[in-house]
Amino acid sequence: MKFLIIVALIFSPVIAGAAESAKAVKLQLALNWKAEPEFGGFYAAKLSGAFQKKNLDVKITEGGAGTPVVQMVANSKVPFGIAAADEVVISQARGTDVVALFAVYQINPQGIMVHPDRGFKSIGDVFNTPGTLAIQSGSPHTLFLQDQFRGYKVILVPYAGGIATFLTDANYSQQCFVTSEPLIARKKGKPAQSFLIADAGFKPYGTVVIARRQYVERNQKQTRDLIDAVREGWIEYLRAPEPANNLMAKLNPAMDGDTMKQAAEVQKPFILAAGASPQELGKMTIERWKTLTDQLSDIRLIKTKPAADKLFRVF
Amino acid sequence: MKPNARMSSLLPPLLPLFVGMGVCELAVRSGWIPSYLIPAPSEVFRSLIDDRFELAIAAWTTLSSALVGLLLSFAAGTLFAIVLSSSDLARRAFYPYAVFFQTVPIIAIAPLLVIWFGFGQPTVIASAAIVSVFPIIASTLLGLKSTEPALVDLFNLYSATAKQMLYMLKIPFALPQIFSGLRIASGLAVIGAIVGEFIGGGGLGSVVDSARTQQRIDRVFAAVLISALLGVVLVGAVNFVSALTLGSWHTSERKP
Amino acid sequence: MNSNLHLGRSKSGATVSCEGISRAFTGTGLVLDHITFQIQPGEFVALLGPSGSGKSSLLRLTAGLDRADEGRLAIDAGQDAISRGFVFQEPTLIPWRNVLRNTTLPLELQGWNIDRARTRAEEELRRVRLVEFVARYPHELSGGMKMRTSVARALITRPNLLLLDEPFAALDEPTRHALQQQLREIWAALGMTVLFVTHSISEAVFLADRVLVLSPRPARILMDSSINLPAARAAALRTSLSYVEEIRRISAAVPIPEGNA
Repeated sequence: MKFLIIVALIFSPVIAGAAESAKAVKLQLALNWKAEPEFGGFYAAKLSGAFQKKNLDVKITEGGAGTPVVQMVANSKVPFGIAAADEVVISQARGTDVVALFAVYQINPQGIMVHPDRGFKSIGDVFNTPGTLAIQSGSPHTLFLQDQFRGYKVILVPYAGGIATFLTDANYSQQCFVTSEPLIARKKGKPAQSFLIADAGFKPYGTVVIARRQYVERNQKQTRDLIDAVREGWIEYLRAPEPANNLMAKLNPAMDGDTMKQAAEVQKPFILAAGASPQELGKMTIERWKTLTDQLSDIRLIKTKPAADKLFRVF
Repeated sequence: MKPNARMSSLLPPLLPLFVGMGVCELAVRSGWIPSYLIPAPSEVFRSLIDDRFELAIAAWTTLSSALVGLLLSFAAGTLFAIVLSSSDLARRAFYPYAVFFQTVPIIAIAPLLVIWFGFGQPTVIASAAIVSVFPIIASTLLGLKSTEPALVDLFNLYSATAKQMLYMLKIPFALPQIFSGLRIASGLAVIGAIVGEFIGGGGLGSVVDSARTQQRIDRVFAAVLISALLGVVLVGAVNFVSALTLGSWHTSERKP
Repeated sequence: MNSNLHLGRSKSGATVSCEGISRAFTGTGLVLDHITFQIQPGEFVALLGPSGSGKSSLLRLTAGLDRADEGRLAIDAGQDAISRGFVFQEPTLIPWRNVLRNTTLPLELQGWNIDRARTRAEEELRRVRLVEFVARYPHELSGGMKMRTSVARALITRPNLLLLDEPFAALDEPTRHALQQQLREIWAALGMTVLFVTHSISEAVFLADRVLVLSPRPARILMDSSINLPAARAAALRTSLSYVEEIRRISAAVPIPEGNA
């Protein structure tokens, strides 16, 4: 009897350790906006069990206007977050060591939304015609466009989110996600035409997953597992967006299921080029990061140019 | 003022400021406080100097909007208070709606203001006026109601008309209260202008908006500092007019 | 300073006729209880009573600043228009006007040209011996000077009825005595009817030809008596036997306040 007890005691750490490794690793992914098809693949990864398969218990938290995701990641409040590609460059230039791991959009869906009856053919037309354009003051794309179309005639006004003024003012144009706001406007009865900012020459990756470099180096396997699961989630979302859309519609009442369905469809070519292999989902090249760095330096958003290979890791 | 007297009046407020800034500077430089929470004072000053022209132009825009808004709310508020003070029924009917101006969250109605007044200074001025009107109404009403009863008796004894009562007695008697309300309103007018600028564009509000987008906290602090200064300037102007008008007779203006 | 003494009644005063005047206030209750008296033109009458006895209310009724609940109050100046002057308990000066402009106020309210008003004001200020201080503001004046300004203001419309509500109560004794004497001289010179409210027996006796003693609330008239003193009231009178006798006589009618020995 005593012998059995001693054996049990000796082997209890082993048993406990085995039980530990069977428990999933808890992680958090912080979004920088509310649940929308922009983040569909992450929710799909959760719903389809992709995270679970890799023994990851991922909590996805929504964000809103001004959520400081880069700071949250940089200060280890969350291990993974979503940010814009230019935020990665600017943070690195200021000495904050965060890296991009996965890019949802190969083509950035940021755009300018206009009333079709204005007769615009390009963003240049918007800038060179009198009227108002609501655009986020101080943003990289704003500064790029202001530089690109120097001497512009349009009046730039603050962008406060939403489409309320677009619906009521016929001379008003605004920034948008081409997969989102124009669809909402059309649903509210106002047809909308949109132009990609990428077509004007500014093409950062869109909606990138970020983490601290130190964290990635210390948790390589876990990071690889997470990114693989994310990729699987996006493949699943591109194939069958409904389950994730249903969940997101519950989380974010501002967008109804119908609009989400349309947006998920419209955004496909931005995420994966026709004919490309699904395994290429989310991967990034050094050329594009270098171009972005050069452009941000030209518009004086950064004083020093970080090396392009420091900005991202491919998994 | 003798040199010693000047020292003893300037030193007390300046000392905590210098000590505070010194501590802050050390804390940020040593990394104890992360720089995205609070910028080092030296960074803020560098921002002030680097961007001095842009800040000066923005400050002038915000100040002029706040001033026009303040004048509008002064005119409307005083008129409203005079009407309310002359009729008990009017006061009971309309005063609760004046309180609405106090409690309405300006950041929530600012987008409505843009729809009504358009982008730019009209919305900013409207915002400044809305935010600053209530203290003027409340103080002016209080002042008009607090006329010394014996003086009212005196005027009634000589069968003064309502107009004489208002212009020769009630309004001059209410001036100290009116200026008190104006002082509070001037600080609020600056706040209202900047909030209006977040939505309507221009001035220090747009500097803060842009700096916030780029996470340049030092620029945000620099703009905030300047806007606090604008409030001081406006209150100073009110004090100046108050001293001129009340100097000869009101206890609040006389030196002990 | 015994020049310009008029003896006997003047034709320039108003009559005051009170019949059964009653007044009640919510919360306080009945303050005046069927007050009846007649005042002849040019009389100097003191209304004597304890604090809170309603004498100020009666004065305000006479001034037209309040209406009685019951009874009839009539003021008559014969062929002249009725003109009242009121001297309040506090000087009640307008703080942003100097002595001169405070004095001209009643005329300004009646539409007088400002220069004519100034000339009249200087006359009255000379009478109260304040003419060197015309440019001073109320906060630069002593209590006695403020009260004299208030008197000059009350006189500027040449009132035929002058009403005073314990005007000297807050002043120190020497100033009070001096102003009492000045008031008597002014009355002697101008001859208007004077109704003077006070709670001081000695003041009532010194100043008035006739004293009406009021009871505490609700006020009734306890005594209506002439004062047996010479028409000229000089400072020396205050230590004379006849003065003290009159004080004793009037005191007998004044009720002892409750709670005091």
